[in-house]
Amino acid sequence: MASTATAAASPRLAFPLLSASASSSSSSNTLRFPHRRSRASRSSAAVAAFKKLSEASPVPIPQEPTQPLIDEDTLPSKPGVYGVYDPAGELQFVGISRNVRASVEGHRRKVPANLCASVKVAVSDEETPDRAALNNAWKSWMEEHIEATGKAPPGNVAGNYTWVGAPQRPPDLRLTPGRHVQLTVPLEQLIDRLVKENRVVAFIKGSRSAPQCGFSQRVVGILEAHGADFVTVDVLDEEHNHGLRETLKTYSNWPTFPQIFIGGELVGGCDIISSMAEKGELAALFQKLGLRAG
Amino acid sequence: MGVTKHDVEAAITSALSPSNLVVTDTSGGCGASYEIEVVSEKFEGKRLLERHRMVNTALAPHMAEIHAVSIKKALTPAQAQPQPEPAADKLQAEVLN
Repeated sequence: MASTATAAASPRLAFPLLSASASSSSSSNTLRFPHRRSRASRSSAAVAAFKKLSEASPVPIPQEPTQPLIDEDTLPSKPGVYGVYDPAGELQFVGISRNVRASVEGHRRKVPANLCASVKVAVSDEETPDRAALNNAWKSWMEEHIEATGKAPPGNVAGNYTWVGAPQRPPDLRLTPGRHVQLTVPLEQLIDRLVKENRVVAFIKGSRSAPQCGFSQRVVGILEAHGADFVTVDVLDEEHNHGLRETLKTYSNWPTFPQIFIGGELVGGCDIISSMAEKGELAALFQKLGLRAG
Repeated sequence: MGVTKHDVEAAITSALSPSNLVVTDTSGGCGASYEIEVVSEKFEGKRLLERHRMVNTALAPHMAEIHAVSIKKALTPAQAQPQPEPAADKLQAEVLN
């Protein structure tokens, strides 16, 4: 039970996912970051503190959740990098963690057994190693694997959420805490502030995770497909956005929804966004304004 | 009785004098819905957002009764012209290559 509790509370360090079409060469390029000489020296030293992937020995993971993991000395509750293998010995996922044992425990409880048979680990002697050191160790293991096999572990490919939870969609923005709150500024002013403080705003029918009309759903899909950081506002949410639906029509001089603002200006509705996306104009606009996510 | 296809056609014709207008009734139980394709000289020099606004403005008297409007095309007559076929010699060259 203690292990489970630890797994639940264990802070997971973020790490990049590779694109599905990553090749060895492009992945190597993606994984390497330029550093100043002094940083490079420290990074090299940090990486040297961790075993290479090929130097680590696999440790079996009991399939039954009731069976305890191997002893603490072999699979310690320490910060480090780890790689999980399937029964055929194929590397499925490389992760980094502040508590490797807890992470492995979490995986074996949630990941299908046919993907989670053994694990290699490399932990740091330091109690709290530098985040960069952990990231570099992870990159080193990834590069080593890609160089040897020509591909990334499936679990680390972008879009595969077997090992990490799907990213949470940002919550919709709300103009007020609730209908009971009396506005001290005109609604138009709130709208104006909102579209100018957020570089891409989509006023839609319904929420981002559950659009209430096909046009709004299409727009959300297009914006997400373009990798843009954008916020959504539900014009049907009368509790938190009371009066928005009508006021926005006047503000934008546009009678329908969704309405998409980019760079503080109305770009259009679903038809215009769709047209721009098809012609590549939307991607170009995002590129021009530096609005690409990540 | 709500807005009809004829009403939509009449409103756009009156406002934009289109050389070509196609209004498709796509109503499906949620209310009146239309897809619109307009070709008009009045779109000359106007960017897409403004063209859509012009169509919306034409339909403003009926908008309260319309559930959804989708403007699929808003073109000038020149833009609506079919693109010329590639020259025969160029086409042949491409084939030979």
